[in-house]
Amino acid sequence: MSYPAKLSAIIELFSGLPDPEKRETLIAYADQAKSQEPREGESFDLEDVRKDEECTDTVAIFLRLDEQGGSHFRISLGPQVQTLTRAMSSILCKGLEGVSPAEILEIPADFVPKIVGAELVRLRSQTVYYLLTRIKSVSKVWLQRQRTATLDNG
Amino acid sequence: MSIDSNYAHPDALVTTSWMADHLKDADIRIIESNEDVLLYDMGHLPGAVHIDWQRDLQDHTIRDYIQPEAFAALCSRNGITPETTCIFYGDKSNWWSCYALWVFRLFGHEKVKIMDGGRDKWIEEGRPLTREVPHYEESAYPVPEKRRDAEIRAFYDDALAQSRAHLPLIDVRSPGEFKGLVTHMPEYPQEGVLRGGHIPGAHGVPWKQAVNADATFKSAEELRKIYETDLGLKPDDQIIAYCRIGERSSHTWFVLSYLLGFDHVRNYDGSWTEWGNRVGAPIEKSL
Repeated sequence: MSYPAKLSAIIELFSGLPDPEKRETLIAYADQAKSQEPREGESFDLEDVRKDEECTDTVAIFLRLDEQGGSHFRISLGPQVQTLTRAMSSILCKGLEGVSPAEILEIPADFVPKIVGAELVRLRSQTVYYLLTRIKSVSKVWLQRQRTATLDNG
Repeated sequence: MSIDSNYAHPDALVTTSWMADHLKDADIRIIESNEDVLLYDMGHLPGAVHIDWQRDLQDHTIRDYIQPEAFAALCSRNGITPETTCIFYGDKSNWWSCYALWVFRLFGHEKVKIMDGGRDKWIEEGRPLTREVPHYEESAYPVPEKRRDAEIRAFYDDALAQSRAHLPLIDVRSPGEFKGLVTHMPEYPQEGVLRGGHIPGAHGVPWKQAVNADATFKSAEELRKIYETDLGLKPDDQIIAYCRIGERSSHTWFVLSYLLGFDHVRNYDGSWTEWGNRVGAPIEKSL
């Protein structure tokens, strides 16, 4: 499956960068992680706030669906979360904007090393994959609820 | 806060305030080593260089450390000579800075120190960080004759012999890992270990017992209580410490060697990721 257009553009941007610039760009995305947190007055269709046993800190995923069925994610991260993971939260919020939950479930995780670079994907930085897993999990729950609601109404 | 003069080698530590006053000293090199791979790039102590535990210190083609030639090249790139005092600091209560210091000692670099409290304490105190990467004039670090593996590093066979001889083995992992209840450290992903438990006869003394909430090391008196009074270790004991990949046990190795003055401490860097997976390696569980 091809990636959603906005995510694809980000992957393309990173693919062409030499390592030092890749790191700088990741830091720039990490710096923007705060701006991806929920804003006052925003409401969501689904919220998943938890700290899994294997995570250094709480990761909260907030999903809002627009009228066209497109997803809009907000992510809130605890202070202990690593820089790479914070960068990935910005990338995913921007890259998945407007993509339907069903499409999100089909996105392969093989784009992560293309963005992060082979040198930075290592044993202790595997949580960069975790955010995508959590986003897919939220999307799946939302789809299941929609199906249940449809059946109930039918 | 000052360094406890009752440590065996109090000069192995510097305080953050001392560091702030000596950032521009010509005879030191400040070295940041972290778990978070982008943390140095986000901001570091002015003048600090970055030494990464995987990229710079390890040879992944053989799961080993770099050879003496590569160590000399690493030091030369960073303007380090054998006379340079290398002051290490980093995240995670100085796990990785202790690990980097231990690797420097493997190559016989004598002048090494840790900044007590590490990166977190420096930031907590509102001290300056910079994103400017310093460039030092390349030095000509002589290639060390050999890596001193036999002195401060233990391998699987050493740990097995230690276990069979009932000599001190210290498992510095969390209680759950030691007991075999979990195969990863709390708040960390699974790192590919098949079996949970510990090396037969090992004592579970989590590394964390040696540090205060602000990531500084506990006092000499408190450390002696943990390792000498409670655990019964003696300064001339032959001791091997291990964890999962050797970073937390580097921290304990530093505590025992430099703060308590034990002379024969080795770090088993293969640790549980080797022992827990190895065919034929005996384990104990304490459920």
